[in-house]
Amino acid sequence: MGNTMIKVNHLSKAFGDLEVLRDINMEVSEGEVVCIIGPSGSGKSTFLRCINQLETPTSGEVLYKGENICDSTADIRKFREEVGMVFQRFNLFPLKTVLGNVTMAPVLTKHRNKSEAKEIGMELLKKVGLENKAHVMPSTLSGGQQQRVAIARALAMEPAALLFDEPTSALDPELVGEVLNVMKDLAKEGMTMIVVTHEMAFARDVADRVIFMADGYVVEEGPAKQVMENPKEERTKTFLSRFLNQ
Amino acid sequence: MGIDLELLQTIGPMLFRGLKVTMEIAVIGILLGFILGSLCGYALQGRNKIAKGIANLYVWIMRGTPIVVQALYVYFVVPEIIGLIKGERMVLDPTLAGILVITLNAGAFISQLVRGALDSVDIGQKEAGASLGLSKMQIMIHIIIPPAFRSIIPSLFNQFIISVKDTALLSMISVNEITRQTQNFVMRTYKTIPGYTVCAIFYLVLLSVLMIVQKLVEKKIASK
Ligand SMILES: Nc1ncnc2c1ncn2[C@@H]1O[C@H](COP(=O)(O)OP(=O)(O)OP(=O)(O)O)[C@@H](O)[C@H]1O
Ligand SMILES: [Mg+2]
Repeated sequence: MGNTMIKVNHLSKAFGDLEVLRDINMEVSEGEVVCIIGPSGSGKSTFLRCINQLETPTSGEVLYKGENICDSTADIRKFREEVGMVFQRFNLFPLKTVLGNVTMAPVLTKHRNKSEAKEIGMELLKKVGLENKAHVMPSTLSGGQQQRVAIARALAMEPAALLFDEPTSALDPELVGEVLNVMKDLAKEGMTMIVVTHEMAFARDVADRVIFMADGYVVEEGPAKQVMENPKEERTKTFLSRFLNQ
Repeated sequence: MGIDLELLQTIGPMLFRGLKVTMEIAVIGILLGFILGSLCGYALQGRNKIAKGIANLYVWIMRGTPIVVQALYVYFVVPEIIGLIKGERMVLDPTLAGILVITLNAGAFISQLVRGALDSVDIGQKEAGASLGLSKMQIMIHIIIPPAFRSIIPSLFNQFIISVKDTALLSMISVNEITRQTQNFVMRTYKTIPGYTVCAIFYLVLLSVLMIVQKLVEKKIASK
């Protein structure tokens, strides 16, 4: 495991009177895979969105390679180029082809020329198993295929890390596996990932570390095996047993 | 009394001359109205309070006054006021005044369309753009505008048809469009019934053609 890449210090977030995140601390090293689990409404998505400033934290800081990106002087676009995000609902651009979705951002932000971007885009589509869908519109794809395109789109920025917000929750059960497999491959290649998920097997088998959140707090965190198989906290036990009994 | 060949030979060329003026005003008016409406629609959904206030005032005035009064105002009052300020008599070309009226009118309607369309683009796509490091401007141009524009094309076409019909009111300010041409013909020949009947049929054919084109455009968009 490498150096610290993302460090979150005393992060809090409130929507009006509703305190959603309370004093969250977290550290992610280069090449690490961290899974965040927890009940619905516990603030997992909000936390992920605070990391790349889709939500502005109420207080606290997010350090990326030592630089506080919550600072008003920080270059948030540069950070976002380096730390990509995959959404629960894919959020593909509906009027662009699959390949167009993948090549758009690199052409605009990295000033890559179109043919080079296309070449790299095709490579990435091959990687997620969709090179034969390059020229179709996203709406003609299944949910699992769309999510794989979304992953390829994020990878096209050559990110140092990826944030995933429940990437398989909007999928029919039979399509979950194909997306998780792509994510497993990324983990093996050493991609740094923070993954909010309800896929407990994925958290146990792929993550290095698991964070259990509830009511805006980090209740428990530790090595994946330990948290998933021998949780210390009562709330973690209750949460996990509910999942096992499903 | 009837509609005969001789009558058609006289009124026909007049109507086609009128058609040229009508279409010129409607087409230029809708294009300029689209530009004006886009700017105002952008202002209406944006954060700049002053721009929003101006856009709202404009839409309010356009919606709250009849188009005939607007035409009379632009044609007669505006040159008078400019004349008073500059101290010399000024005359506005009727066709130019007509284009201005249609532009202002279509612009007010289009601004509402544009505001709604910009607002209704899925927030998830904007966030996806932001998360890829795109600037606000790039998100606007590459993510918000394309689907927004696409969604208003049918309504834009509808406004174009309304604008074509609205040009008839410009006969009030002596614009030589289709209706004015017919009035001239009737005044010269006293052939009231055939004159206006041919005029009505002429409009009906023109607008039917436009409605058919509209249907084709809508089908084309829906099929994509
Ligand atoms: N933009 C917002 N405005 C107000 N409240 C919000 C907003 N976004 C989230 N919340 C609230 O914050 C709390 C945490 O939401 P969040 O989406 O982060 O939970 P989550 O852990 O991701 O849940 P889930 O597993 O259902 O996705 C919820 O009570 C939610 O209603
Ligand atoms: Mg969530």
